[in-house]
Amino acid sequence: MTEPIVDVAGLVKNFGSFTAVDGLDLRVAPGEVHGFLGPNGAGKSTTIRVLLGLYRATTGRVRVCGRDPARDAAAVTARISYVPGEVTLWPNLTGQEVLDAFAGLRGRRDTAAERRLTDAFALDTRRLVRTYSKGNRQKVVLVAAFAAPTGLLILDEPTSGLDPLMEEVFQQCVRDAAAAGRTVLLSSHILAEAEDVCDTVTIIKDGRLVESGSLAGMRHLAASTITARLAGDRAGAVVARLRQTGAAVDGDTGAVRLAVPRDLVPAVLGVLADANADDITCTPASLEDLFLRHYEVAAR
Amino acid sequence: MTLTRLLARRHRLMLICWPLLLVALCCTLPAYQNTYTTPGQRRIAVESAQHNAASTLLYGRLPDPGTPAQMYAWEIGAFVTILAAVMAVLVAVAVTRAAEDDGSLELFRGCGISPAQPLRSALTILATMSVVLAAGCAAAITVTAGGAEGVTGAGTAVFGAVTGLTFLVVATGTVLLAQIVATAGHARLLGFTALGGAFAVRAFADTEHLDGLNRLSPLGLRAVAEPFTADRWTALAPAALAALLLAAAAMILSARREFGTGLVRRRDTRATRLRIRTTAGLHARLTRSSLLVWTVAVAAIGALFATMGSGAVEQRRDGEVGGFLGAQLGAGDPTAGYLAYQGTLVGIVVSVFAILAVLDGRHAEDTGLTAQILATGVRRWAPTAARAAVTVAGGAVILTVTGVLTALVAPEFLAGDDIAVRGLAFTLGQWPAVVALTGFATLLAGAVPRFAVLAWLPLLAGGVTALLGDLLGIPGRVQDLGVFLHVPDVAAPDRPVAALLVLVVAGVVSIVAGSIGAGRRDVRA
Repeated sequence: MTEPIVDVAGLVKNFGSFTAVDGLDLRVAPGEVHGFLGPNGAGKSTTIRVLLGLYRATTGRVRVCGRDPARDAAAVTARISYVPGEVTLWPNLTGQEVLDAFAGLRGRRDTAAERRLTDAFALDTRRLVRTYSKGNRQKVVLVAAFAAPTGLLILDEPTSGLDPLMEEVFQQCVRDAAAAGRTVLLSSHILAEAEDVCDTVTIIKDGRLVESGSLAGMRHLAASTITARLAGDRAGAVVARLRQTGAAVDGDTGAVRLAVPRDLVPAVLGVLADANADDITCTPASLEDLFLRHYEVAAR
Repeated sequence: MTLTRLLARRHRLMLICWPLLLVALCCTLPAYQNTYTTPGQRRIAVESAQHNAASTLLYGRLPDPGTPAQMYAWEIGAFVTILAAVMAVLVAVAVTRAAEDDGSLELFRGCGISPAQPLRSALTILATMSVVLAAGCAAAITVTAGGAEGVTGAGTAVFGAVTGLTFLVVATGTVLLAQIVATAGHARLLGFTALGGAFAVRAFADTEHLDGLNRLSPLGLRAVAEPFTADRWTALAPAALAALLLAAAAMILSARREFGTGLVRRRDTRATRLRIRTTAGLHARLTRSSLLVWTVAVAAIGALFATMGSGAVEQRRDGEVGGFLGAQLGAGDPTAGYLAYQGTLVGIVVSVFAILAVLDGRHAEDTGLTAQILATGVRRWAPTAARAAVTVAGGAVILTVTGVLTALVAPEFLAGDDIAVRGLAFTLGQWPAVVALTGFATLLAGAVPRFAVLAWLPLLAGGVTALLGDLLGIPGRVQDLGVFLHVPDVAAPDRPVAALLVLVVAGVVSIVAGSIGAGRRDVRA
């Protein structure tokens, strides 16, 4: 079995009496795009700072690229590209000078990739940072991160401030990085973003692991949503048949909405087709559904 | 809460500390009564000051007969009005363009506030500060003057009014400039440049006996109104009118510019590249503008101070200087004493630069800049060590330039042996003190950042023992614990340097310990 490039077991991080991360497990295999999901304050950024060696774990085992970031922070970060959630840059430097600074400190750079990414993100690097919008500051660190010759990208809420067009560029960059064999750990609370690019996800809340696994597997376990419009005179009988299949039905006349486990979908659709129902839609479980389901479970 | 109160609350530290500093400075009048034990000694000092070109350049002309009140208005008045003007530039920019640049004013503007209200609120704060300064300075003199010769109620009131109006004219002028330039930083720079021009006009007027010119400079208001001499109230009216006109012009220009921009567009692009490979290289690049400003300012003030000592040195040779200045000149060669005193002052100022530079590292951590540097494969201790190394090197640059400039100009004004070499050595000799204080600040900021503010303590203690140690009767062994009193006279036969070596070693060890400490704790933010 391939050694995980990020391997965290039982991570606990306390700040005084406050526990930001509480027994978290996180494994990211080489070459995968791994979504790291959770609401604000869930402990995502704290975990990432531990991975970078900026914070020291209170307890737990942390390995990144096979090394302990608390002991070998420089060796770890030399192999990592990092995009922070809140980007602050030096206001008196230009965008190009910031790129030069990051590349100079790293000691390695891919100039061609940097130029290509600068064009892709439509970034004017001659401008002083103090004139940049939040989105443009974000673009500078995204260009620096994707252009750096590293094997692991750790991206903490990387698209905040980007417009929809640039979000598409960002997603393409993630796909290109994965195609090139690089590993991506993408922290986000924007579910659609992770849904579009991630192979696997880890969901955390209040510093604890909620669920981790492949997106396809999670979807398989979750219910699809089916909606339809029933003819008024037969609606009651059709709803009774639908309930007999084991599906949860919301509404008993006119429009109905059902949460249907994946293996029951054909039977439910068969009942609706027999009943000549109108406007039938079937939507597979979204990551958002998974997310909300887990939050509801955790909140009980 | 009104916008005016909100702005005042936001900048309350600045609005409280600056007036307190100026009012404290105004409490020194009794020293002029006590420094000279006999009228004859004071008369000699007055005549010496009146014929000293450097003193006239810095303070203006000292009027006859040179009562303690007149000497106070001449010397302390110069310091107070210059500091009031510096305060005016900083406060005026803080409550106007700085609030625009950091985005806070944008939020207020989005709450139904009229476009003109922010500037009206800022001007209200500045006018209030002017009144507070005037009243505070007058009250300080009234309370502390005792029976000092030459002190009158009218003179006290005019002195206070001069201080307040100097502040108000410079402040409104800066507000006007802030409508023209692109950023708060540019407004500060232009404000200080204008202040330098005002000082030059005042100095030229006094040295060339062109009294009319003083009416054109806010720093010349003191010479025009002559507190404790002529007490000319009417001379204050044009300054008050000028402040009104400047404020009105600022309101007009403010209405003609876009929010967050000046009337003059800035150059926002350049095609330069950054060729650095180390954290120290990056830090040196980021701080070079600040270092340049500190170097120019310290070198100019340090060299000017060196040129002003001839009167004091001559009087000391005649045994006629006591009090604070007498303590600074010491019992040995008065020229060496004066240059050592000048070197100590320069060392204190450069140490302020160093501590500020080191403590700025906390800001870099809080904003995430340090984290981004560390994420490029840089070792955990490197940013802290680089900041300390660049600061120590920057201190060496400032001291070297100041020392060389002092060595060039001091022999023209001071009589004695080895003036140039002594001027250079007494200034450069403060570098170990700067290294030691940089090290202590790095130790705190690196290992225990929440206690970093304590970095000011050894500077404060060293400054007090160096400047006031003899006057306060502090024992010699205690004074030796301060960092500034260990520079030997290079022209003396005995030149002990062990203490300087100890300071350097202590500084280096502290820097190493602080850097290791920074690597072993969580990064802030």
